[in-house]
Amino acid sequence: MDSRVVNKGQLPELLDKLARDYILVAPVREEETVTLFKQVSGANEVQLDYTNSDVSPKGCLFPQTEKTISYTYTGDTLEMKETDDSPKTAIFGVRPCDIKAILALDPVFEGKFLDKYYLEKRENTVIIGLSCTTILSTCFCTAFNSGPCDGKGADLMFTELGDKYYVEINTEKGKDLVEAYGQYFGKEDIDKLAKAKEEQAKKLEGQFRRKVDLEGVKQVLDENFELPYWDKVFRKCLGCGICTYVCPTCHCFDIFDFVTGEVTGDRFRCWDSCMFPEFTLMAGGHNPRPSQKERVRNRFMHKLKYHLDRYNLDGCVGCGRCISKCPVNIDITQIIKDLKEVGQNA
Amino acid sequence: MDVIQQLREQAKKLLEEKKVEMVIGFGEGTELARTTPIFIKSPEEVSDLTWGPFCANNLVKYLIDYRNLPGKVAVVVKGCDSRSVNRLLEDNQIDREKVIVLGVPCPGQLDWHIVAAAVDPAANLKGFSDDGESFTINTDAGDYKFDKKETMLHKCLVCENPNPVVSDITIGKGQTVRNYEDRFAEVKTLEQLGTNERSAFWDKQFDRCLRCYACRNVCTVCTCRLCVFDQMQPAWVSKRNNLSENTAFHLIRAFHVAGRCVDCGECDRVCPVDIPLRKLNQKILKDLGDLFDTPTPGSEAGLASPLGEFTTGDPEEFN
Repeated sequence: MDSRVVNKGQLPELLDKLARDYILVAPVREEETVTLFKQVSGANEVQLDYTNSDVSPKGCLFPQTEKTISYTYTGDTLEMKETDDSPKTAIFGVRPCDIKAILALDPVFEGKFLDKYYLEKRENTVIIGLSCTTILSTCFCTAFNSGPCDGKGADLMFTELGDKYYVEINTEKGKDLVEAYGQYFGKEDIDKLAKAKEEQAKKLEGQFRRKVDLEGVKQVLDENFELPYWDKVFRKCLGCGICTYVCPTCHCFDIFDFVTGEVTGDRFRCWDSCMFPEFTLMAGGHNPRPSQKERVRNRFMHKLKYHLDRYNLDGCVGCGRCISKCPVNIDITQIIKDLKEVGQNA
Repeated sequence: MDVIQQLREQAKKLLEEKKVEMVIGFGEGTELARTTPIFIKSPEEVSDLTWGPFCANNLVKYLIDYRNLPGKVAVVVKGCDSRSVNRLLEDNQIDREKVIVLGVPCPGQLDWHIVAAAVDPAANLKGFSDDGESFTINTDAGDYKFDKKETMLHKCLVCENPNPVVSDITIGKGQTVRNYEDRFAEVKTLEQLGTNERSAFWDKQFDRCLRCYACRNVCTVCTCRLCVFDQMQPAWVSKRNNLSENTAFHLIRAFHVAGRCVDCGECDRVCPVDIPLRKLNQKILKDLGDLFDTPTPGSEAGLASPLGEFTTGDPEEFN
């Protein structure tokens, strides 16, 4: 693996250049307390001192609302127009948990049916990761063999070290970008910085408050679809979609038509949430998950079992957003702990 | 005996004497400055109950879930939450005979994000004290002092009812009303803006709405069995997430709760992208006060909604 160094003072210039050549998406301070990934026109809009965004950047590849086709019926012919190609995009400042989440999304959209909407964006997007510098009380990425400086999955991984960024080049895409903007990527003190990065990662890994042990949890879920435990957990759930919408790995969507006039319309897909009562509600009125109990169970089964069954990848990356945002403090790490206990007492 | 002890004893008594089937209260959360709603069914579990400046949730919403239990349900309420009890009674959503209100005078609630940002992430909560002007949070990593004016939820700074307005068993000493600022100061600031500026302000807010519906689901006034936003045929408001649909959602919601919103501030607290929803509701509350001279909905028992009644003596024609 090759690496480079970028002087902190030169980053704004690099970002400005990227914004000129790419659709540049980066963390933006939307309000005093809200940071979101948004398209920026230059470095001055980018918030570099952020912990993590309030909503994951998955929307860059899998937008909350996405037009898939437009159609017009003229009387004898049905004209359909597909959406335009995805523009060349660079996402800057993605944290390790969210990078890992993209790796968890890839096989979903690249399975038996190729999802061209996602895959085209994925192909045309360069992911520039940024190592964490602060560990929040809700963070637990180390539970999933990741860490605050883990760049796996990023095309380029930036780590802030003093007045420099240590940059790991992980893919061909990353290499091409470094070559195209060669004047910003140096090689001085590279070995020293590589070592400093290791030390930084180790130091930060010691700061996690949540120690989450997943051993045996999947087995409990494999062996028990019904558990009295779920009868208790769901009671406080309000049935809102926060956990699923801020989650970097949740990927359920619904498809519907928005018809303007009788014969012209757009087909959209938009995020859906398994926490909603109408999720998978069938035309005849049957609801496979009739109460919040089944819906809550489904979410945790998906995170801790189904995704592993299907793709051998964790369905959770430990970003902690659902913990931080849940209005009633439903906490996946507590659920993992409780399920472990259920298994031990069985 | 402190409030937590009294609360546990009262809950224990109610469950032991089988006066209630369930006690809904606050339990210890998984973050230092958070609690979580708990549903207690046996006297042995009452030690899970807690109380303090981290009990922001309005638990009254859960009464709707358990209104069809054969027995009674007890619920822990703060002053602001107690207005919701009156409101649900007024809407015929709950039966007064089946609810036991455990009213706790409230010293104010802290914004847990502010506390979490100030306290050592590895710290564990030991206790808290309240000197009137500030809370001291005791943890195993030291004590932290939080000035109330700086760190409480906004609704607490302008709290009208620190003491529950409806309560069967009141636990703890009464609190005095402290208005730290003009209740409608923020609304007045917004009112000063021109139409375009005000529109730009709300456009920016609604643009980032995720349509997670947490504001609706947490609201004690939202009790429709099938919400218009969940209805798929016809889809009155499209699921598309864009400024136009999001604005429609928020404005319909605000007007649907107009005259019934008890200003508990839960919609504002739960929003994952911090849309200041309470400002919308407060504008309506302010207008209702100006136009009809009515107090905050729910603040008195039997208070009719100014927008939900008509008398023949009304100076204006109903047309």
